[in-house]
Amino acid sequence: MSAPLPPAQQIRLRENQLFLVVTIVVGVLAGLSAVLFSVAIEQTSHRFFGIAPSPARLLLVPPLVSIATGILLATVFPDVRGSGVPQTEAAYHLAGGVIPSRVPFGKFVTGVLCIGSGHSMGREGPSVQIGAGLASTIGRWLRLPPRRVRDLVPVGAAGALAAAFNTPVAAVLFALEEIIGDMNASLIGSTVVASVAAVIVERSILGNEPLFHVPTYHLVHPAELLAYAVLGVLGGVVSLIFCKGLLALRAAFQKLPKRTKVFQPAFGGVIIGLTLVYVPAVMGVGYEYVDQALNGGLVLQTMALLAVVKLGATIVSYSSGNAGGIFAPSLYIGAMAGGVVGTVVHRVAPFPTGDPGAYALVGMGTLFAGIIRAPMTSVFMIFEITQDYQILVPLMVANLLSFVISKRFQPTPVYHALLHQDHIHLPSPGAQAPAGKTARHVMHADVRFIPPEISVGAAWEIARAHDAPAYLVGTQARLAGTITRNRLAEAAEHGDPAAPVTSLLERVAAHAHPDHPLDVVFERFAESGGVLPIVSRTEATRVEGVVTLDAIMRFVDRRATGTTAGSVAGRPAS
Amino acid sequence: MVSWPTVPRFLHRELIQIAVLALVAVAAFFVTRAVAANNRGMTLRDAAEWYRRGQQQLAQGRVDEAIASFRRATVKNRGYRVYTLALARALMRKGDAAAATAALLALRETDPEDAEVNLELARLAVARHDRADALRYYHNALYAPWAPEAAEARRRVRVELVKFLLAQNETSRAVSELIALSSDLPDETAAHVEVGRLLLQASDARHAADQFARALRIDPHDADALAGAGEAAFRLGDYQAARSFLRTVPAGRAEIDELREIASLVLSRDPLGNRVAGGERRRRLEADLAHARERLRDCLAPSAPQEAAALQQESEDFAAQLETPAGRDAETIDAGVDLIDRIERAVAIRCSPAPMDRALLIIARRHGSDER
Repeated sequence: MSAPLPPAQQIRLRENQLFLVVTIVVGVLAGLSAVLFSVAIEQTSHRFFGIAPSPARLLLVPPLVSIATGILLATVFPDVRGSGVPQTEAAYHLAGGVIPSRVPFGKFVTGVLCIGSGHSMGREGPSVQIGAGLASTIGRWLRLPPRRVRDLVPVGAAGALAAAFNTPVAAVLFALEEIIGDMNASLIGSTVVASVAAVIVERSILGNEPLFHVPTYHLVHPAELLAYAVLGVLGGVVSLIFCKGLLALRAAFQKLPKRTKVFQPAFGGVIIGLTLVYVPAVMGVGYEYVDQALNGGLVLQTMALLAVVKLGATIVSYSSGNAGGIFAPSLYIGAMAGGVVGTVVHRVAPFPTGDPGAYALVGMGTLFAGIIRAPMTSVFMIFEITQDYQILVPLMVANLLSFVISKRFQPTPVYHALLHQDHIHLPSPGAQAPAGKTARHVMHADVRFIPPEISVGAAWEIARAHDAPAYLVGTQARLAGTITRNRLAEAAEHGDPAAPVTSLLERVAAHAHPDHPLDVVFERFAESGGVLPIVSRTEATRVEGVVTLDAIMRFVDRRATGTTAGSVAGRPAS
Repeated sequence: MVSWPTVPRFLHRELIQIAVLALVAVAAFFVTRAVAANNRGMTLRDAAEWYRRGQQQLAQGRVDEAIASFRRATVKNRGYRVYTLALARALMRKGDAAAATAALLALRETDPEDAEVNLELARLAVARHDRADALRYYHNALYAPWAPEAAEARRRVRVELVKFLLAQNETSRAVSELIALSSDLPDETAAHVEVGRLLLQASDARHAADQFARALRIDPHDADALAGAGEAAFRLGDYQAARSFLRTVPAGRAEIDELREIASLVLSRDPLGNRVAGGERRRRLEADLAHARERLRDCLAPSAPQEAAALQQESEDFAAQLETPAGRDAETIDAGVDLIDRIERAVAIRCSPAPMDRALLIIARRHGSDER
């Protein structure tokens, strides 16, 4: 007879058991929410457009509905614009898994309206945010420990994605690869449970149908791998165009005055309305046309047109601040681009080739790998969507090339880049060193700033009083930039001392976050010109401290003498 | 006695909350299922509407638009064979055999024994001259499970297969299929006549005669059955019966009129016919020889003068022999029939044979001129 467990272990065991039950419930609810979201989009689209909409409807519905969603997004649900995946990642990494309860509801409503009114966006990203939001809300309602609330976020995301795509394995991989950022995460068991629960629910309601019906494709000739490699390169290039275009247009929208924010979705709606009049096939999620491309139902010119127009329409819909994802558009554009390559290869290749549908299938994964940058997820997703093993090798070849090209020319993944535009910086897996010393241990928290509104001469007076190689300009809440002592001296003595100090500002290229390990801090300090701002991850313009050479020397001193960090806190940095 | 550890209060509360969540999940499940069912109904109605539009467009000759409509119908109601079949047929009509085949093969994956799908695949195989695939799909279609009320449709498939086999000159396989088909025919004149005709095409006059006889038992006055019976009897060498059947067929069908004339000539001009008196035999032989010599002069002499001259000389010698007392001998009559046969064969090579020529050839064959 084994001895009873110590009380602490029994409590932990019971907590684990309860967490397992919560995981199952979260999986079920996330799956149901994804199914309901998908169905609601279809119903809404049908209500708005009917079976064969007139040009007037196509023109007017997107902007008119976007006026309503613009108001909702600007006033009631400001945190549900766009995909939802980056916000979910930010909530997991930076907010302890706390997603406000209004988020899943708001995402559902605005997502249904935006996608249902014809915006060229996907439903999977929003489903992820809805599932994660539900999970977080449930965790907090149950008053689970904070780490458990945080753990539920990827669990809910996996459940929702599994149900949205009917792809349980890919959903687990996505949660690990994208949301958590660690394929070896300890949450793999929970995400699997939630994913399975969600898929069981989804299949019991919608049936066990793959998302797309695809004939069995296989590699007809070994030389075809070259053609798939070409597709991989093209996929990488198209992914780059998509990411760069999306980020550039979104940045342009963000530069507009704040008061225009409420109208930006409607502006996007006007563009989409005009587009739909001429190319209605890019409306909404668009899986119907993906299915046709996969089954050889579209001709070369149509696929080329749809690939280009869908790319542009998705960039406009997303950048203008509507609620919807980029999963589905990436699959759509990939299918069309793949179909184009497949048709051309089929016509000109001197060796026997597969049907264009096979290339459309691989193209889907290629764009997914290039845009979303989750290579494992992309391979398994295509496999699960189609349930076709034969296409795996070409798929991996094309995905790898697309991923490499995309990563080479757009080092920051698109979801992270979108967060950067919102001044949120997620920790990279390598940058986290919870057990070691971090920037927090070496930085000075008491930072002196040069006010941005003063002149060069006045700034120089401050600098002369505080010797440092460089200075921060701005306020603690909003860092405007940095300026070196030499440049300031040069401007004060030989330039116009009455000029505003902001005219000398240098962009804050080098910065670090409080949780960055020391090796990263030292590396970035070397690039900084003598003063390295330590900024918040959730608001990258908010300064939490500063690292200077003096601070580093004092840190080394402390380590040598064994004194604590707090003993020198409060010294002005610059 | 086991003492429970002190459990944090949140764990007790959580149990109740989880029970509430479970109830919420169950309720949400049924709500979602109801909404999804409603959505499914809407999607199916949309699919039906696209199918209807596709049919209309097809009827108006707008094949490309019809294909687009059928495609939308098939996407909205995947796996529904009616829509996929309509799509495949529209694609076939457009001439896009590859796409039609792909659509049908996808459908066949879900139900390999679908008769209509196999039949369409067989037709596509016929179009691309793929004999093996055509036979495979025709047989798959034939041996698929058919509803009792679809017996006629199944017979049509077998008829189509027979026609394909006949076009491939595979007469013995065609006859096998026809015999199988004949055991499954309804009591309808047209059905027996059709099978009889196909049997005639497959050179199985005996079974064809049976089918026509069965047709005539149902409707003794059916012109097609009478014509078929006459032709079958003709091919079987029963010229008496052939003439009898063909006489009752209304005039105006050239091939029947010709057969009837030939049958009558065979019966009336045969010097070796049964129960024909000696004088009559000689008279018939003289008349037949006169016709043959006329054809020799008009047809053979201009194109093959040497051969014509030799046969002319032989016929003159034989005519002289007929004037002698030996002219009544059975051997002389046989020799005469043989000579006429050789003349007619030479003529038939160079000129299209008239009914009389064909009758004379038949008379010779009837009495074994080849053996002689």
